[in-house]
Amino acid sequence: MTTITAPATPAQRVINVVKLQFANPWTTLILPWMILGIIFLANLAVWAIIFTAAPLEDRAEALEGLQWSGASTFIFVYMMVVAVQTIAVTFPFALGYGVTRRDYYLGSALAFVILSVMYSVGLTILSVIEQATNGWGLGGRMFTAIYFGDGGWVSRLFIFFVLFLFFFFVGAAIATVWVRWKANGLTAFFVALGAVLIGAAALITLTSSWGQVGSFFASSGFVGSYAWSLVITVLAGVLGFFILRRATPKS
Amino acid sequence: MDESRPLFVQIAQQIENDIIAGQMAEETQVPSTNEFAAFYRINPATALKGVSMLVDEGILYKKRGIGMFVSSGAQALLVGKRRDEFAAEFIRPLLTEATKLGISTQQLTDMIRKEETP
Amino acid sequence: MTSVVEVSGLTKRFGAVTAVDNVSFSIEENKIYGLLGRNGAGKTTIMQLLTGQDFASSGSIQVFGQSPVENAKVLQRISFIKESQRYPEDFRVKHVFKSAPWFFAGWDQEFAERLIDDFRLPMNRVIKKLSRGQLSSIGVIVGLASRAPLTFFDEPYLGLDAVARQIFYDRLLADYAEHPRTVILSTHLIDEVADLLEHVLVIDEGRIIIDDDAETLRGTATTVVGTRAAVDAFVHGRDVLHRDGIGGLASITVAGLSPAHRQEATAAGLELSPVSLQQLIIRRTNTSEKEFEVSA
Repeated sequence: MTTITAPATPAQRVINVVKLQFANPWTTLILPWMILGIIFLANLAVWAIIFTAAPLEDRAEALEGLQWSGASTFIFVYMMVVAVQTIAVTFPFALGYGVTRRDYYLGSALAFVILSVMYSVGLTILSVIEQATNGWGLGGRMFTAIYFGDGGWVSRLFIFFVLFLFFFFVGAAIATVWVRWKANGLTAFFVALGAVLIGAAALITLTSSWGQVGSFFASSGFVGSYAWSLVITVLAGVLGFFILRRATPKS
Repeated sequence: MDESRPLFVQIAQQIENDIIAGQMAEETQVPSTNEFAAFYRINPATALKGVSMLVDEGILYKKRGIGMFVSSGAQALLVGKRRDEFAAEFIRPLLTEATKLGISTQQLTDMIRKEETP
Repeated sequence: MTSVVEVSGLTKRFGAVTAVDNVSFSIEENKIYGLLGRNGAGKTTIMQLLTGQDFASSGSIQVFGQSPVENAKVLQRISFIKESQRYPEDFRVKHVFKSAPWFFAGWDQEFAERLIDDFRLPMNRVIKKLSRGQLSSIGVIVGLASRAPLTFFDEPYLGLDAVARQIFYDRLLADYAEHPRTVILSTHLIDEVADLLEHVLVIDEGRIIIDDDAETLRGTATTVVGTRAAVDAFVHGRDVLHRDGIGGLASITVAGLSPAHRQEATAAGLELSPVSLQQLIIRRTNTSEKEFEVSA
């Protein structure tokens, strides 16, 4: 029969949104791991070919180039897609359940943080295995590519985490622009973004400051440089919240 | 013919018909308001209005905690009421129609007698 | 009677279009209301404003005594089921029914399961593969099983076939009788739901033109049928809403006949027949359009 449970506390309401984002694990959990798996297998095939095809003396040299493999960067960009899809699709659905925009955004943000933790831990474990097996026995480098720094697994964990957060929250912010202002808004957003980026690049070029930019990142090191992305991540997170405040579920 | 009586009146009349026909015996329980509403597919408030009207007229009474019952003497009461209304409800329209068709009162009486014979 | 919704001077503009125009009304608790009107009259907009899904241009809305906008305490007691509700495409039906209980304190799982059976909903099918009728059933079931103290149904049964619609009306009536709550049904299919309604709100072009008890409303007009001469004689001097007829037969709808007038009519050999709520509203809608033009 019916038991009227007490109305949910603010914390419970946010948790309910987190649960909602994981109610159907396909988009957020299953699919990304499947994609990662496919990319990995594709890479494995490439490494096997290099390993067997290259004559023994040249093998080390051939394999060294693999540290520049950009294969694993795709999974981060894909998280941006996941964030956009998730917000665009679950926002009108959650509003239909009587969820406030505030609770929705906080719950979704929390869900993204949880996902970032999950994936960064997962990738770190894979990177440790990669190192221990000397590149899966084939000298392959996917999870220990140079983009993820030259430090140990702790720094890699941090870098993975920061990168996932970045793509999730930037994706979420873009989604809120779409939810609120639809196609026109999105176009305006990208035009504005493009203008800002080109403007910044122009400014740096005109003042011949590329060297300064370079040395800044060099001195920050991998961990430091990636940490700066948190500024954008937080900005995106805050902006997304305020943009969503006045969004409506116009279908 | 006045078919346009309010819904709750129509409900009340249905119940009255059942009582007159003996299908709802005196001192037996009648279906609840909600059951009436569900059966006739109408709003419970409307069903309640119809039932309340019958309670006011003394046809039904409420036993607290159990439900609605047909009052004793309800059948006689209703038959009496219907008899009073008989002339207005049936005789007058009958005469109007007969006049339209040019049937005299005598012819009418003969027709009635003829219909009566089993 | 306590009112659960109080609306005053509510206006909503979309650019140059005024969808809701200075609307005021109140909704009393535990009654079934009909929010009726033609397509595009403003029914959905009003519901979206009452549930905080859209923002008013001006005016005030109080639901359970507070503004519903971004107000979790109020929103948790409301269920808004709309025809255009979008579900995540790769959700399965079971995911919807797994998550709904988290958001409605009064959710009845048993009831939901019986309804899922009644409407023959395939639990494992993906949302994007459902027929329109099945999608509508999901909304209807969530709305019923949520037992929310204030439930809005915005034409969610348009996708349902006649059999399914009747199941919905029957379940709604039965559940409402046992667990009273405030229900607001919006529709342009007035006759189907007419008998279910206790109170009627009619919207036309963003304005409330009728706000009345259903029973009272039904009594405000009667159709008089008979030979032209007899009918014309009877309706002379009365407020005529509509004239119709064929051959020597006339059928004229007039406003308000007292019991005495009714007896007069039947004595004159005329037939009185009811005006359906739908007919009545159509007639009144036309009248008020004219009135607006005159008073402007």
